Amino acid sequence: MRAYPYPRLTGAVTARVTAVRLRGAGECREVLDYVKACSAIEQVVALGTAERDDWHTACLSLSATVPAREIRNKGHWSDVSVVAVLTDGATNVRTVARLEPGAGGSGEWTGEIELNRDQHLDRASLAVHVVATVGGVPGRVIASMERDWVVDVTAEAPSRDQELDVTSVSFGRGAEWLRELRDAPWVVDTSGRLPTVRLNSDFEGLVALMESEGTPTEKAVAEVLRAHMCAEVWAAVFHTAIGDIEIEEDGTPQFPPDWRGAVLREMLPDVVPTRSLEDALREVHRRRVGEGSWADLQPRIHYAAARRAKVPQALAATVRGIERLDQETHA
Amino acid sequence: MTSRPEYLPERLALLSGAQAADFLSAGLLEGREDVPSIALNKVAEPLSGDEARWLLHRVRDLVDDALAMFGGGRPTVADAWLAPRLHDTLRLTRAEAADKGLWAYLALGVAPDYVVWRHAPGPNPDGSPGSVARDRFVGTLDKQTFARLWWAAELFRDGVDYRPAEVACGNQEMFNSALRLDIIDHRPTAQAFISLIESGTVGTGREVNALLAAANAAAATLMYDVIAPDVERDGGAVREWIAAAESAIPPPRHRLPEGPAEERVPEESVRKLAAHFGELFREGRVRGRTSRENE
Repeated sequence: MRAYPYPRLTGAVTARVTAVRLRGAGECREVLDYVKACSAIEQVVALGTAERDDWHTACLSLSATVPAREIRNKGHWSDVSVVAVLTDGATNVRTVARLEPGAGGSGEWTGEIELNRDQHLDRASLAVHVVATVGGVPGRVIASMERDWVVDVTAEAPSRDQELDVTSVSFGRGAEWLRELRDAPWVVDTSGRLPTVRLNSDFEGLVALMESEGTPTEKAVAEVLRAHMCAEVWAAVFHTAIGDIEIEEDGTPQFPPDWRGAVLREMLPDVVPTRSLEDALREVHRRRVGEGSWADLQPRIHYAAARRAKVPQALAATVRGIERLDQETHA
Repeated sequence: MTSRPEYLPERLALLSGAQAADFLSAGLLEGREDVPSIALNKVAEPLSGDEARWLLHRVRDLVDDALAMFGGGRPTVADAWLAPRLHDTLRLTRAEAADKGLWAYLALGVAPDYVVWRHAPGPNPDGSPGSVARDRFVGTLDKQTFARLWWAAELFRDGVDYRPAEVACGNQEMFNSALRLDIIDHRPTAQAFISLIESGTVGTGREVNALLAAANAAAATLMYDVIAPDVERDGGAVREWIAAAESAIPPPRHRLPEGPAEERVPEESVRKLAAHFGELFREGRVRGRTSRENE
């Protein structure tokens, strides 16, 4: 835990997106269907659920709850305000809105914050902070919401997990770099905005198998393949992210601002267990640049990737499925 | 020296990291080879639509001008001139400007000669040729040759006024370090740094670094947005500025162009933060001196 040189709130601050309205040129107005667009449990807003595509501003209504009694009783804080902050590391956007206190000092603060569509590629993060004057110093952050909301500009479902993008293309007739790989059944491409898997449509039967609504055996094989591809994506993304890392002047490696950072944060506890995230990142970076063994780390990276991709589960289910099929055939 | 690409198509394109990697030969990085421009344009993905802002020659003409004006001198001097003019020429949304594919194409497909000229490190101690760092072609937005110029202009301009961006890019330490810090996403913070450079409070690389470090550390417990609020902006001005690219003329060479007609940063907020940062900087310096004296 961090130490602060001034008193902070101990009670929790929570916040909820309560409604989403979209605005565009002219008369474009849309109120998003809350159930489809927002998940209060996952704390995600999916703006891809909009029916119209010509919106340019999303207005998020917010309701935050702060420990009002603690603020009143302890009396350390004056000029208390509650602010919502929308940030996007990929586009350097920082938008701030002040919330207004509800009647009767209930600790309920509400307000609205706007998101400009042109300013975001995929995900923005929405935080709520309580700010006050403490010991004569104005603008102190005295509490923050524990987990940020995610506002996804393109997602069609409000989930924190990002879906794996799988497309099928002919490698033989595709871009030059794909032509060189024409014997491969699939490749993982991590160079774009989001990682994608490209299935080789020239590989006979593969696309049909992956989209299979066919026999139970086919479905089981497709399931294992999907988990396997997924693990490859996780491992590839991990390597890309580590290779792309920025180093501060004092040698401290920084988490990338986009999904690469999210992937590292998720996988590092499995790759270098029992260390803080920052320490784990430093350790992995150190090994990659040749101090300490990079090779020794590979099994752990693959373990972390397979775990994320749920390979063991997919494989176990398939093994059981095949046994059952065998029993049925022999029965 | 690496030269201007032989083949320049009509429109700009995107180049993925995997595609770009194939063209980053040791010879190119050492400035001995050219980029095979026909092969490169075979794999690059041209930007769709017929918007005038995707016309390649606009950017190339600007780069040619920069090379003509600064080619004989110190390359760092070109940054302050090019940043606002590149921003004006290449009118992008922030979402578009976050796409590394566009910047990789500019570096490899439009102006590899500029990248090599601007970032060539000079020969190694043993006399072998030095290499341009790969991230000047394909790196993060604060390292890539053209992305860092565009983003510096975007984050340091004060509404229509590019002058603060010119100041930021004229101070290499501010330019190199500030772009990596999240605190400059708050416009009054960025403008306060500029005002401290202009008032002479900070100037040398060491001073700028000390200032940025102090301001960044203090931001962990202070909400600058509350102490020094910015105005709300609705994005309309930027949309109009982008639409006006259709009829835009090249940026003036000898005076600054005008940026998107967004509201200016409130002066009161800049003044307050400049005073606050100035204070932090002086305290830090005093502490630094005392601790050195005690050593």
